[in-house]
Amino acid sequence: MVRGSEMVKISKTLTEILVCPLSKQPLRVCDKSSSLISDAIGVSFPIVDGIPCLVPRDGEIVETEDAPSECKADSFDSKNNHKTT
Amino acid sequence: MAKVSDQLKRPFSYTYNVVVLVLLLIFVSLPKVNRMSARIVARRLGSKLLHRFAPAATLHSHATSFGFKEVNEEEKSQLVGNVFTKVASNYDIMNDLMSGGLHRLWKDRLVSKLSPFPGMKHLDVAGGTGDVAFRILESINSVSRRATEDTLEDDLQEETQIYVCDINPNMLNVGKKRAQERGLGDLGSLVWVEGDAEKLTFKDDSMDGYTIAFGIRNVTHIEKVLAEAYRVLKKGGRFLCLELSHVDTPVFKQLYDYYSFSVIPVLGELVAGDRDSYQYLVESVRRFPPQEVFASMIADAGFQKVEYENLVGGVVAIHSGVKI
Repeated sequence: MVRGSEMVKISKTLTEILVCPLSKQPLRVCDKSSSLISDAIGVSFPIVDGIPCLVPRDGEIVETEDAPSECKADSFDSKNNHKTT
Repeated sequence: MAKVSDQLKRPFSYTYNVVVLVLLLIFVSLPKVNRMSARIVARRLGSKLLHRFAPAATLHSHATSFGFKEVNEEEKSQLVGNVFTKVASNYDIMNDLMSGGLHRLWKDRLVSKLSPFPGMKHLDVAGGTGDVAFRILESINSVSRRATEDTLEDDLQEETQIYVCDINPNMLNVGKKRAQERGLGDLGSLVWVEGDAEKLTFKDDSMDGYTIAFGIRNVTHIEKVLAEAYRVLKKGGRFLCLELSHVDTPVFKQLYDYYSFSVIPVLGELVAGDRDSYQYLVESVRRFPPQEVFASMIADAGFQKVEYENLVGGVVAIHSGVKI
């Protein structure tokens, strides 16, 4: 459970100040896949050992069908009212 | 002098470092602080300096230089990445050995110039193993303790966020571990992010301070890093860069060159089993733009009040600027 709360704490900080390194648009946290999603360019960045990996080459293209169903329920999404899906 | 030789037996003691530093400073006694806004200094050094290191030529050569080797721009990042993956586990020990412990004083100086405050949002780029970030945090915590205790202070202290950004995950992992050992791991004030200095992952105008210590020498495009630094800083935010720089004083320069090219790679071989990485290190220092040119690049990125301070006769320089 410690791991879960560490993720929650990190997520809160992240959404406030982090943006996509390429588009500079807001990021969306996906706890299930432990990643940060840039909806603007459809790329997901992994979080490894609690460290978000936001180097452009770490990004993976997101399959648009998968992303909404997996991560929509996350409570922190309420902060990002303007999703571009 | 007997006192100095006694001190030599304890190479990493604070007194030893101060004695060495003072002797070297007396020996070289270069002007310590130079303001870029008065380009008089640049003209005094002679127009041939500016001519030889015309900004465009320097930028291009930096992007394609890996030490003294010429490489493709696309390759440089990978090559540098390999170096730091290899040196990560020995990084801090090697710093102590190569600089005789002086790097600690240099980082102390950097942080004191920053004047950290509780509640600040600070970004330390290429901060891998955490040296600068820890100092900032500890400085803030000690400031808070000295001030009157009230709930506002506590709240502000909790709001302090030091972001440590590094492109190399190995360096970040070493840093995270060291944070735990120092008792700073669970505070929540340190946030570790893997990111590219040329494409920062932070919002515009979000940081009160930005530091980059011994990192800018390794990037491919210096001007992009400076532009990103400018972007993420708030108005009034300070940019500070600590980097190995250029020594011009005649005798001292020869000594320093000898030390760099004959001693450091051997140290790397003996201690880390890796001569090549340390050869890259000393070569990359020589390829980095000299103090005046780097200062003008910082000004070109939009920073005001650009100045630099030489330490140890230019072995190291702290460049600073403000976003106004």
